[in-house]
Amino acid sequence: MTDQMVVGAAPAAPTGPADDREADARRTARFRRWRRNALLALGWVAIYLVWEFGSWWFGSRLLPRPHEVFASAVEIVESGNFVTDFSASVLKTFAGFGVAAAVGAPIGYLMGRYNYWRAFFHDGVTIAGTIPAIVYAVMSLIVFGLSNFGPILAVALVSAPYVALNVAEGIRGVDRQLITMSEAFGRTPAQIRRQVLIPTIVPFVFAAIRMCFAVAWKVEALTEVFGGRNGVGFQIRTEYQLYDISAVLAWTVLFIAFMLVIERLVLAKAEARLLSWRPEERGAAL
Amino acid sequence: MAVLTVQNLSKTFNLGTARESRVLDDISFEVKGQTFVSIVGPSGCGKSTLLNIISGVEEHTSGDISLTSDAGGPARMGYVFQDPRLLPWRSVMQNMMYVQDDQSPATVSRAKEYLDMVGLAKNADFFPGQLSGGMQQRVGIARAFAVEPDLLLMDEPFSHLDAITARGLREQLQDIWAQSKKTVVFVTHDVVEAVELSDRIIVLQPGGLIYEDITIDLPRPRRQTDKNVATLQAEVLARLEKLKAMSVAEPVA
Ligand SMILES: Nc1ncnc2c1ncn2[C@@H]1O[C@H](COP(=O)(O)OP(=O)(O)OP(=O)(O)O)[C@@H](O)[C@H]1O
Ligand SMILES: [Mg+2]
Repeated sequence: MTDQMVVGAAPAAPTGPADDREADARRTARFRRWRRNALLALGWVAIYLVWEFGSWWFGSRLLPRPHEVFASAVEIVESGNFVTDFSASVLKTFAGFGVAAAVGAPIGYLMGRYNYWRAFFHDGVTIAGTIPAIVYAVMSLIVFGLSNFGPILAVALVSAPYVALNVAEGIRGVDRQLITMSEAFGRTPAQIRRQVLIPTIVPFVFAAIRMCFAVAWKVEALTEVFGGRNGVGFQIRTEYQLYDISAVLAWTVLFIAFMLVIERLVLAKAEARLLSWRPEERGAAL
Repeated sequence: MAVLTVQNLSKTFNLGTARESRVLDDISFEVKGQTFVSIVGPSGCGKSTLLNIISGVEEHTSGDISLTSDAGGPARMGYVFQDPRLLPWRSVMQNMMYVQDDQSPATVSRAKEYLDMVGLAKNADFFPGQLSGGMQQRVGIARAFAVEPDLLLMDEPFSHLDAITARGLREQLQDIWAQSKKTVVFVTHDVVEAVELSDRIIVLQPGGLIYEDITIDLPRPRRQTDKNVATLQAEVLARLEKLKAMSVAEPVA
């Protein structure tokens, strides 16, 4: 007992140097943050300068200057076209995802669950995932011509293989022990599917959607350029036909900004929310 | 409570290409009433396999198993595993309810009661990842009790825990068991633990035969620090001395 007391009563380590080290670490961290932000700002300045130089080199008729594009963008936003066409494009992108999930997830489930289905689908899905997006865009146009379904189909075709492969990967990674546990407690196959299998694959589906999203909205816009009746791609084509280059660029810039916001904020937030059970995801500010 | 009858139970695993391994060899025993039975034996002698066969997760090769509720009719089972086996994406309470057949308010409050008994009432809304290993294991124990099983199967539930936590949980387990009328089959490789907890110890030897069937007649509640518990532990250990020399059987061709 006594020697335990001695251990307990050992003098506390002097606090001075530790405090100093902590302050040092804080200073270093602050400096690193500052340097990173400065470089970020410098990067934007560089983009601006390159653009200005390009406008001067090619002439502002061919490559409008940044402030002209900006003015054009303001006009677009003020006209209200922005809202209708953007929502059209976004809706088509997500509709395409919906189709991709509806087709890709069951295929992925079969591939992950049964070896013979895996044998059946594997090469086909892999090939489908390797076909260039532009081919899907062209094919969709051939199928649907001038309509809203072309872009939806293109997005679906580009995304479905990714969804299938990721879901298959997720199912194969399912924790066998949780299945045994469920069976020991007499859970039905339907309950096991809902409570064990589906939650296992959700992160994989999200990974697939985020991976596809970067490609999908470009394909969507591209398909609209050739065969859309509304949406951002359609507007870009219209402005191109009017030879209003600064409007073309303005639509492009707005679209990029908008999609990045969706990607970084909406998708990331939704993922963090759905996966909030993961300890490391909790409270992660995004 | 349940009546569990195991008769001439054998199990061989098929190892492919005409090789097989006999894990359980002609085992018979009966357990009934509010009895706490431990299955002990060296690693690899088929304890987990026996439990999995009783629970129906695994098939047996020959022999008979019958399980009926004391009240007649099919018996309900609960299972506590070596690891917690909680759904990481469901809260503690959702995990408790996942294994329940009905989601009525009465069942919910019963689940809460058992959570309270293992001292985790405050953590009902936590995700498993936010609990320590010992706390997760306690959820696993509460989950199994909360289905009010006639037969409770436990497979080395404390072996992953530190000595102090394990000791606390053993005491908790005895108290909960004393309050609820259940037949328990408890697997462990720890003879000392088995003596503290059980009314009866079935000792398996390598090759899956029953080596001894020992009755433990000590007053409850028992504590690890009790003199008579310690004495009997030493006695049982001495009786199993010969088991040490037996090596785990090789798979037979
Ligand atoms: N699916 C399986 N296929 C083939 N052999 C198996 C299988 N499962 C278990 N075995 C074998 O059966 C024997 C008994 O395994 P079991 O898990 O029942 O042992 P145990 O007594 O629980 O051991 P431990 O105390 O280490 O948990 C082991 O030799 C093991 O290799
Ligand atoms: Mg085991």
